[in-house]
Amino acid sequence: MASRTVAKDIITLRGSAAIVSEFFGYAANSILYNRGVYPEESFAKVKKYGLPMLLTQDEGVKSFITNLTAQLSENEIVGKEWLEAGKLQRVVMVIMSKATKEVLERWNFSIETDSDVVEKGVSREKSDREIMREIQAIMRQIASSITYLPCLDEPCVFDVLAYTDTDVPVPFTWIESDPKLIANPQMVKLHSFDTKIHKVDTLVSYKNDEWDEQ
Amino acid sequence: MILRTPPPKKQRAEPILHESPSPQVASEGRLVIYEDNPLAAPPPESPHQPSDHLLCTYQCRQMVKADFIDALSNAEKQIRDYQSKLEILNENLSKAEVERKKFRDQFLYAEQELAAAKGREQMLHDQLLKEVNDSQERFKKQLETNNELKGKLQNELNLRKKAESSAASAEEKAADIEGKLTQFSQSIEREKKQLQNELSQLKGESKLSISRISADLERTEFRANSAEKESELLKEQLEDLKKQLNECLNQKSEVEKKMSSFTFQEVTSSESSILIKHLQEELRNYESEVREARKLKSSHEDIELLKAKLLEEKGRRERAESELSKLQEQQICLSNLEKELSLWKLIMKDIPGVSCPEDIPVKFATLQKEVIASTMKIGETNARLKQIEVGLDAAQLAKQNAEAEAALDKEKAEILKSEVKRIELMLSMVTEERNKLSNAINELKRHKNEEAGDEVASGTVVQELESSLAKKESCIKELERSLHEQKEINDRQHNEIKMLHDRLNNEARRIKSLDRETDRLRSEISLLESKLGHGDYSASNTKVLRMVNTLAVDNEAKQTIEALQTELQKTKEKLQALEELKSQSGDTGKLVDSYISEKITKLKEQIATLEKREERYKTVFADRISVFRRACCELFGYKANDYTAQPEISHQVDIFVRKLNSIPAFTANLTVESFNRRTLS
Repeated sequence: MASRTVAKDIITLRGSAAIVSEFFGYAANSILYNRGVYPEESFAKVKKYGLPMLLTQDEGVKSFITNLTAQLSENEIVGKEWLEAGKLQRVVMVIMSKATKEVLERWNFSIETDSDVVEKGVSREKSDREIMREIQAIMRQIASSITYLPCLDEPCVFDVLAYTDTDVPVPFTWIESDPKLIANPQMVKLHSFDTKIHKVDTLVSYKNDEWDEQ
Repeated sequence: MILRTPPPKKQRAEPILHESPSPQVASEGRLVIYEDNPLAAPPPESPHQPSDHLLCTYQCRQMVKADFIDALSNAEKQIRDYQSKLEILNENLSKAEVERKKFRDQFLYAEQELAAAKGREQMLHDQLLKEVNDSQERFKKQLETNNELKGKLQNELNLRKKAESSAASAEEKAADIEGKLTQFSQSIEREKKQLQNELSQLKGESKLSISRISADLERTEFRANSAEKESELLKEQLEDLKKQLNECLNQKSEVEKKMSSFTFQEVTSSESSILIKHLQEELRNYESEVREARKLKSSHEDIELLKAKLLEEKGRRERAESELSKLQEQQICLSNLEKELSLWKLIMKDIPGVSCPEDIPVKFATLQKEVIASTMKIGETNARLKQIEVGLDAAQLAKQNAEAEAALDKEKAEILKSEVKRIELMLSMVTEERNKLSNAINELKRHKNEEAGDEVASGTVVQELESSLAKKESCIKELERSLHEQKEINDRQHNEIKMLHDRLNNEARRIKSLDRETDRLRSEISLLESKLGHGDYSASNTKVLRMVNTLAVDNEAKQTIEALQTELQKTKEKLQALEELKSQSGDTGKLVDSYISEKITKLKEQIATLEKREERYKTVFADRISVFRRACCELFGYKANDYTAQPEISHQVDIFVRKLNSIPAFTANLTVESFNRRTLS
């Protein structure tokens, strides 16, 4: 019988930051597709995490998301990116009504960073396959969230917020903002994944549907 | 035992009396026949027997014979009788022996059963003792665990009291904070009212200033229009006057020429003086007209100044409008501030211990720490609760086991009792049978006086049986005593079990209350988690950044650049127009130039900033594109500079990359073509 011990891969801080930022990119695309923020025909299918993932082909959105992931994992202009420095506390994707700018949904990705790894530069061991499985579970949950999230009937836009430490210098493509909270939201906690250096918890909070309130 | 020796004489005499009357023969049981030999002495074997010699003649002999024969027959009969009786007695003896054997076997069986019962009882006793010891140990352990649980429960109660006291203190603090919040809200409302009053005042002032400015603007416009009309009229007059001046100058030059020609001829005529006077008058007129023209010029300059003032007023009007828009923005900011204030109020209502907005982040941090501490405490209490639950489950299991064992012991005791009863019954039956046997034996004894040896033996056997029965009865009594003691022990154990059961019920109730508290704490934790998940944060160590939409920024930058470029063109056209006017008017354009130069400097500064931004974008783009090109070159092994200028490569790009979406096909085609070219060349 084959060995039952799972082969563990060495994960460094940079590698973990790359995994997390890549996850954000694909998660953002998945949310935009599943919530219908952009039309379905503007997405193309690719294979990632063992699942067929949909990536936007709109140049504007694409560049926005790539700039976002670049800020999270590699920022040549500022000098040190947030994930590697352990300065990033959470990333929030906000979906708002285009007309009224009212916040309808908040996709909250909380990040816990192992301070030992950031300070001492040690590495950890975890199987890549296991991380992929955990991310796959989250992607499936995002796809299945349409069953309980209220329908977005009106045209919507999205925005991305980053909760960072106060001593982080603000890059020129970012500005300080309000947290864009939802009053009396419904919250659903999704799965989390852990690279042993960064732990990402996912939570979606949405505005109570008027039909549900009735 | 049957004695083989003949019975003594007395015994012989009795049967003699009972039996045949032939004394001579029957008395003895033995005949001594007279023999001629008188020396035949009586047998020495019967010393007790008297020697009776029978002397008779032949007749006597015959008589004696007959009597003897009769006696013989009688004796034979008697013997037969005796034999039959013996047989009967033997049968009875055999039966009695068989019965004795049976009873002996039964006694042995009863003894064995008694021994087995004794052994079982001993084993049961030992088991009971062990079980009692085990149950005592378990009860001791349970008592210890119960004491430990009691201690833990007391600790939990103390913790609960502490938590309640802290909650009460927190409520008091919350009440204090609510009061402070109301005060704060009142002060905020006052400030709001003041700000609103100031706003209204500013609005009124701005309206007044706007109305004044508009009135001034209208006046200046009217003045400017009228001045323009006057300037136009004056310009026309100026032109006429200039023409006249030129004509006069021409005439003057002609006249001077003429005068010069006339001086040589020395013609003194009044007409020339008159001409000169006339010309001088005309000159004076022309000079006055020139003065008027200069006045017109100055008025024109004034007009220009008025125009400049108009422009200034227009600028002021625009500034006022911008300030109005700013006012609107301020109003929006005020509304946002009000919303934030309401949010803060809500937050402050939820959070106790906050007196001013600056305390809120600190309080948030303390609250987060408290939440973390409380979650840790909750985790610890959960762990303790789980341990208590495990202990309780173990105690309940032990209790159930003890109850089961007590039930088993009861059943065993009952079984033992039933066995004892059965044994008693058996004993009673055995005693009855013994009595019957003894009676039968006594009867046999009476019947068998002749065979005395056997009955004595049976009597001894019966005595032995009786002694063994007595021993068994004593054993049974001892067993009953032990059973009684075990009953008492069981009763005591039952009472202890009942007490423990009561204690367990109490502890179960306490555990339920603790479960309720844990549920409440879990709900509080979920509430706090929901608040954290909601997006609340502490401003002391967290800030929220928003990514600006680069496309929008680019678009905005492009739009601003385009707007500034159009403005530049307009200002350039204005500059050209003003320069033309300047060329016509001369020094009057200096003031306008200064204003325009200021504007130009501002525009130049804007252009410089935009150019800097463009350069930065270009450098970033250049860096990125160089990296991208390097990556492409390294990946695909090809470097195409200005491929759009080469039609072949652009054609291939259209086919392979844009239509077929296949870069490997494109690179493969390139390699094949380059290979063909090199081989062919």
